[in-house]
Amino acid sequence: MLNLLLLLDIVPGPANPAAPVPETPQGPWMGFAYFGFCAVLAVVGAIATVASPNPIRGAMGLLLMIISIAGLFLALHAQFIAAIQVIVYAGAIVVLFLFVIMLLGSDAQTPSDQRGRIPRFGAAALFAGLGLAALTLLGRTMAKPKLPGDVGSDFGSIDSIGKVLFTDMLVPFEISSALLIVAVVGAIAVARGKHGELAEKGALNK
Amino acid sequence: MDSLLSVFPSKDFSLLGIILVAPLLGAFVNGVWGRRLGRDAVRLMAITAIAVSFVAALLTFLALDREVTHAGHGHVKLAWTAWDWLYTTGKSETQIPIALRFSVDALSGVMMLVITGVGLLIHIYASTYMWDDKSYWRFFCYLNLFVFSMLVLVLGDNMPLLFVGWEGVGLCSYLLIGFWYGKMANAAAGKKAFIANRIGDFGLICAMFLFVHYTGALDWNGIEAGSGSLVTVNEATQVHVWPIGGGQFTGFLKFLQPDSPITITAATAVGLALLLGATGKSAQIPLYVWLPDAMAGPTPVSALIHAATMVTAGIYLICRLNFVFVLAPGVMATVAVIGAATAFLAATIALVQNDIKKVLAYSTVSQLGFMFLGVGMGAFTAGFFHVFTHAFFKACLFLGAGSVIHGMHARIHDDDKAQDMRKMGGLRKYMPLTFWTFLISTAAIVGFPLTSGFFSKDEILFKTMTTELVHPDAERLGKKVTFVQSLWGARDPSHFYVPPAWLGTALYWVGIAAATMTAFYMSRVVILTFFGEFRGWKLGRPSQIDAHEAAAHDDAHGDDAHGDDDGEHHHEEDLTKPGYAPHESPRPMTIPLILLAVFAAFAGILNPGLLKHFGLPLPLEHWLEPLFEESVKVGVHAKEGAEHMELMCTAGAFGAFAVGVGLAYWVYVVQKGAPAKQWAEAAPKLYKLLLDKWRVDEAYEASVLSGVDALADTATSVDKGVVDGILARLTALLVAAFGTILRALQTGVVHVYAGMMVVGLAGLGWFFVMPHPDGHVVEKGSGDYSIVAAPGVGYGYIWAEDGAKRPEKEVFSGTAAFPLHVEPGNTKKVELKVRNAFGIVGTKTFEVTAPAKAAPAEVIEMGQNGHGS
Amino acid sequence: MIPVEYYVGLSAILFLIGGIGFLVRRNVLVALMSIEVMLNATNLALVAFNRQHAQAHTGQVLSFFVIAVAAAEAAVGLAIVLSFFRLKRTVRSDEADLLRN
Repeated sequence: MLNLLLLLDIVPGPANPAAPVPETPQGPWMGFAYFGFCAVLAVVGAIATVASPNPIRGAMGLLLMIISIAGLFLALHAQFIAAIQVIVYAGAIVVLFLFVIMLLGSDAQTPSDQRGRIPRFGAAALFAGLGLAALTLLGRTMAKPKLPGDVGSDFGSIDSIGKVLFTDMLVPFEISSALLIVAVVGAIAVARGKHGELAEKGALNK
Repeated sequence: MDSLLSVFPSKDFSLLGIILVAPLLGAFVNGVWGRRLGRDAVRLMAITAIAVSFVAALLTFLALDREVTHAGHGHVKLAWTAWDWLYTTGKSETQIPIALRFSVDALSGVMMLVITGVGLLIHIYASTYMWDDKSYWRFFCYLNLFVFSMLVLVLGDNMPLLFVGWEGVGLCSYLLIGFWYGKMANAAAGKKAFIANRIGDFGLICAMFLFVHYTGALDWNGIEAGSGSLVTVNEATQVHVWPIGGGQFTGFLKFLQPDSPITITAATAVGLALLLGATGKSAQIPLYVWLPDAMAGPTPVSALIHAATMVTAGIYLICRLNFVFVLAPGVMATVAVIGAATAFLAATIALVQNDIKKVLAYSTVSQLGFMFLGVGMGAFTAGFFHVFTHAFFKACLFLGAGSVIHGMHARIHDDDKAQDMRKMGGLRKYMPLTFWTFLISTAAIVGFPLTSGFFSKDEILFKTMTTELVHPDAERLGKKVTFVQSLWGARDPSHFYVPPAWLGTALYWVGIAAATMTAFYMSRVVILTFFGEFRGWKLGRPSQIDAHEAAAHDDAHGDDAHGDDDGEHHHEEDLTKPGYAPHESPRPMTIPLILLAVFAAFAGILNPGLLKHFGLPLPLEHWLEPLFEESVKVGVHAKEGAEHMELMCTAGAFGAFAVGVGLAYWVYVVQKGAPAKQWAEAAPKLYKLLLDKWRVDEAYEASVLSGVDALADTATSVDKGVVDGILARLTALLVAAFGTILRALQTGVVHVYAGMMVVGLAGLGWFFVMPHPDGHVVEKGSGDYSIVAAPGVGYGYIWAEDGAKRPEKEVFSGTAAFPLHVEPGNTKKVELKVRNAFGIVGTKTFEVTAPAKAAPAEVIEMGQNGHGS
Repeated sequence: MIPVEYYVGLSAILFLIGGIGFLVRRNVLVALMSIEVMLNATNLALVAFNRQHAQAHTGQVLSFFVIAVAAAEAAVGLAIVLSFFRLKRTVRSDEADLLRN
């Protein structure tokens, strides 16, 4: 992975030798190892999500990616967000996905589609090209990466995030709660269908 | 009286408001709630409204009289401003106010009394005449509205307000003529009246524009004050007739350009425009065709509108603006000629008509021609006096005809047949009151000595004979030209046209001929209708009826059920039994007849022209003198020996009366109508032509109306073919085609749409991938410039000045600005190479030119004595 | 200590993977999961930048809201998938062309 990054000229070599390498109790390279581990797992999970034909495997891949990213959040001093990530994403959204997949049963897996391959892959290639172009641009124009400064111990803690949420960001907070209610009502309305519970039963007895 | 009138000062005479508002209120109440109120209430409201207006008008007249006696001499007006209305911009940005300002002076005072007085009598008459009509309330609403509009016309102190009244009476005339709109013919007649009026209104509007432009005012005082500017001698400010509006024909149209532009004075232009309006409203040639058709309306309408008031609006206008007309003697002559020609033409048509109302209609047109003749020859008082007397005797004649028709409806309920004089006769014994009033009014119209009509007509004819029109500016201008020369040929602003002196004499003889014919046909009407035996027994009856049997049923007969809106009657009559005889009309109908007949007989005392030799005063002439004396001094010149000709002219008028009545008596009473039949058979084509009203309507239909129809047809086919067919369908086709093409992109699958989004994004990305070399030049002064390149992410620049030494290895640096020095008058080229983060290079060349050095400012040495060096 | 740019780079790679997955796979469920991948990548970038500019907690709060909205969207989206399945008995997005033309 790092070699790939080097190839793309994104990483200009080792960190600035002039700056002192901060000492962690575990040693300076612990951070990199941790980051690399989480990053690799995240990418593997993402690829599994996208590429596996069986959606259950895809959901598992998603789960892996989410937990890896939670780990990365922890490295970024975002404890609260990491916790939220695990609780909401891994604990609710992935579970929801799994419910639906299991509800659909074997119909959830669609056979590999041969038609329309060229437009699909063409679009995907175009997208990938765009992404790579953006990455290259970024890599060649950005300044030497600097190490981030120290942060206080309460950075990213529940206290501080809570404080921001309930003072500066109160309005978006309330609005998002309303949004969630709307989403719940909408989901019920959409999933109920025309005949209410009978329809759900029908979906079960396929 | 004094205390009452002291409430209303002469500058703020708000009694005028009451005169105007009362009929308006009556119209409003009857119009909105009339259907629910019931006939009695409607009648009460309408008649009270007019009565209030009449009383107020009387009081106003008395107040005016007092003011006149106080002032002694001069033009006295009582004015009242309701509110300020509009402003319009005149020449050189002056603001011309148009206020809702009403005024009464000598002229409008008399008119006001006539309108409200005769209006009141006609309202009373109509309240019984129209009693059985379904839309009773609508009739009185319109009638009140008409009186209001006419009062606005007459009392308005400025031209726009007069125009409002003018249009209002036109509208009410349309509404009332087409009152029984269920029948197509009535509606068509109403439309014809309105459209003919409208053509005249165009003239009035043009006149208003000219007034604004030349005199800079629209109220009577202002126009009079500024009327001098209507006769400018300067060619540039006159009205250009050819080329129209000034200017020149150039290019291939040069052959149309005359040697010198043909211009007329503004006074002439205004006069002609006003004349067009007056001919429309007062039914003169060429716009008289609506008046005979207007007889489709109920008879009280014909009496009020088409005899007494509305049609006199044109003459009122000319009298009101007399100070403008006298500035253009050519226009005055035109007015007189049109009047005389119309009088003659209408009289010839009336000779052979069989419908009693049609005869009266043509008689009205003819008498209006007389009025025009009078005012055209500068005899404003005489013309106006004829308006005054005509109101009485013509209203009486029409109401009498209505009474006759009302009686005939006992026999037959068809309008056309009920009005046919060939089916009447001997009504003298059935309707004595109607007969006597009709006879008195006929005496007035034919010029029986000492009746009002005798004096007024005689005055007009006398003045026509003994007047010549003069140009107000004759001495100043100098060169008199003939009629033909005034239209064509080399022109000079100092040329002016004056009608020849023999015009008066010629028109006098035409007037005499028309008066003779008037006497003849009116006597014919009286004889056919009231004398002899009743010929209408067989109307509506298949068998012959004995007169005695019919008379026996007379007493049992009450009012018949009268018409619905369509004028047809659905009386369930047994056609085998003998019918009823005609009967006299009820009292509310006969009392106005009597009053009007009295006025027709004795109103002549107000201006007994002939009798001034016996020492009698001329009150009306004296009353109207302040208005007209200046104009008369300027534009009208009595020929020498005028006083001696009076007796001769009167003898001529008397001769016309005698010959006409005598001939009618001989033909219809002595010979029982045989010579009339012989003449008709001897010249059948001429007879048919006269009966068909000289086929003027048909001529209009063939020429003007067909032209308009053709235009409309062209427009329709263009609309259908080009606009609808080509444009609309073409655009629809294009849109549909595009839609079909674009539909292919709508697959409905979300992923396809996402793919399209990516394609779009790629296009955007292409913009970022390619480099964009650009820059702008900053001038630092004294030949120093700096070229600043546009910034971009990851851009590297190489600057290369033309001719400068190039380094071997080109390195892209980050310097975005490049300094440059250019000598004045020189040009330098600089090339900019840009490389972006992807390694793609773009180039742009800048060319910088320094302007040549400006010459240093010259310094002028000032010597001690201030000379420049 | 890891420079923030590494996190951003990782976020970009994850976003790419998610995007390519969405464009290529026609299974609706997998497409929804790819969207979740993309959202997570965004969250990572947000939190990483917040680490760099640590004056305020803007990035983390924003990613909090992103998580909330993603949850709502996943719920409704799955409900739609269920309705669609009831209608067409398949989860292929190619079959969801009721709005064709």
